[in-house]
Amino acid sequence: MKPSVEILIEKYRNNLYVMAFSVCKNAQDAEDVVQDTFIQYWSQKKEFESEQHIRAWLIRVVINKAKNKNNTFFRRNALPLEDYIQTLTFESEESSELFEAVMNLPEKYRIVIHLFYYEDYSVNEIAKILKLTQSNVKVRLSRGRLLLRNTLKEDWGYDE
Amino acid sequence: MTNKEKYKKAFSAVHPSDEFSLEVEKMKRIRKRYVCKKMAASILCCVLFMTSAKVAYAMDVGGIQRTVQLWIQGDCTNVTVQFEGDGTYSMEYTDADGNEQFRGGGGVEFASDGSEIPLSEEEIMEYLTMPDVEYKDDGSVWVYWYDQKVDITDKFVDGVCYVKFVKDKEPMYVTVKYHGGFAAGPHKYVDPDSWVSN
Repeated sequence: MKPSVEILIEKYRNNLYVMAFSVCKNAQDAEDVVQDTFIQYWSQKKEFESEQHIRAWLIRVVINKAKNKNNTFFRRNALPLEDYIQTLTFESEESSELFEAVMNLPEKYRIVIHLFYYEDYSVNEIAKILKLTQSNVKVRLSRGRLLLRNTLKEDWGYDE
Repeated sequence: MTNKEKYKKAFSAVHPSDEFSLEVEKMKRIRKRYVCKKMAASILCCVLFMTSAKVAYAMDVGGIQRTVQLWIQGDCTNVTVQFEGDGTYSMEYTDADGNEQFRGGGGVEFASDGSEIPLSEEEIMEYLTMPDVEYKDDGSVWVYWYDQKVDITDKFVDGVCYVKFVKDKEPMYVTVKYHGGFAAGPHKYVDPDSWVSN
C-alpha cells in the first residue's frame, strides 16, 4: 500500500513536526526535516505493509534527518530555545517546565522518551524504529525518566 | 493526571508555523532541486576522490570491456566495466535489490607541465575499490569498504566523521564530511579542511 502524500500530510504533519523539533530543537530545521521526509516518501517507489509500517517509517526518517541536521557543519541562525519557548502558549506553568526539562535531556534519552510518552510506542516498537535492543531502550527510558524526576520533582509521577 | 497525559499536554503547544507549506506542487519543485543537488554532490565525491589522487574529473564517453567482481555497498557484485582508453569508464551491474545500475566516471592526472594524462585501467580499478559512502533514503549514512560496512549516522562531530577499516592487516582511513564528500587513504586520515564542500 502507498497512500497519497496529501493524506499523510494531513494525518502526520503535526506529530512529525513535534518529533523533529524534539530532536533538533529548532523550528526552522524541524520544518525542513518534515518537508524532506514527505518529499522522500513521495519520490520513492517503496510499498508499505500497513498504516503502522508507514507511520514507523516516517518517524524513523524524521528522526534520522533531524539528527543529521544536528550534525551539519553550519546550522541556521537559530532562535535560542529559551526564546522559542517564550513564543509557545502552554496551558500551565507545569507544562512549560516539563517541555523545557525534556528539551534539556540528552538527545538519546529525549528521542526514546518522546516516542514512548507522545507517540505511545511500546519498548519493543521503539527498539525496532531506532534499531536498538529492547534492553537499550529500557535503559534510555529509565535514565530519561530519572532525569525528568530530578528536575521536575513531584510534578513527574512514578507511573510509567 | 498520568505522565503521558502531562507530556502530551505540554507538547500540544508545539506546532509548525503558519507559513509552513506542504503543498504537493511545491514539494515537486523542491524535489527537482533536490535531485540536481544530489547529482552535484555525487559528482563532487568523484572530484574529491580524484583530487586525492591528483587527478580531475572528466566527462565519460563511450574500449576494453572486462567483467570483474567489486564490492558495492557491502555486496560482492559482478560488474561489467568498459574502459574507454581516455581515462573514463562506464559500468553496469545488478544491485542487491535486483535493479540494473549504470555508473560512469573517470579522470585525468595533471602532469607537471599542466598537460593531462588519462587514468590507466589500474588506476581506475584502484579508484573503484576505494571506500564508498551512501546516504540512504531513511536518512542514515553508511561507509563501505569491501565486505565491511559501518553505520556512521550518529558518529559525526561538527559535520565530520573518521572511520578506520582494516583488511588483511592493511588499514584504510576514511574522512567523511556530512554531505560534503569524503577522502580515504592507507596512511592517515585526510584533513577535512583540505577540500571544500559544496
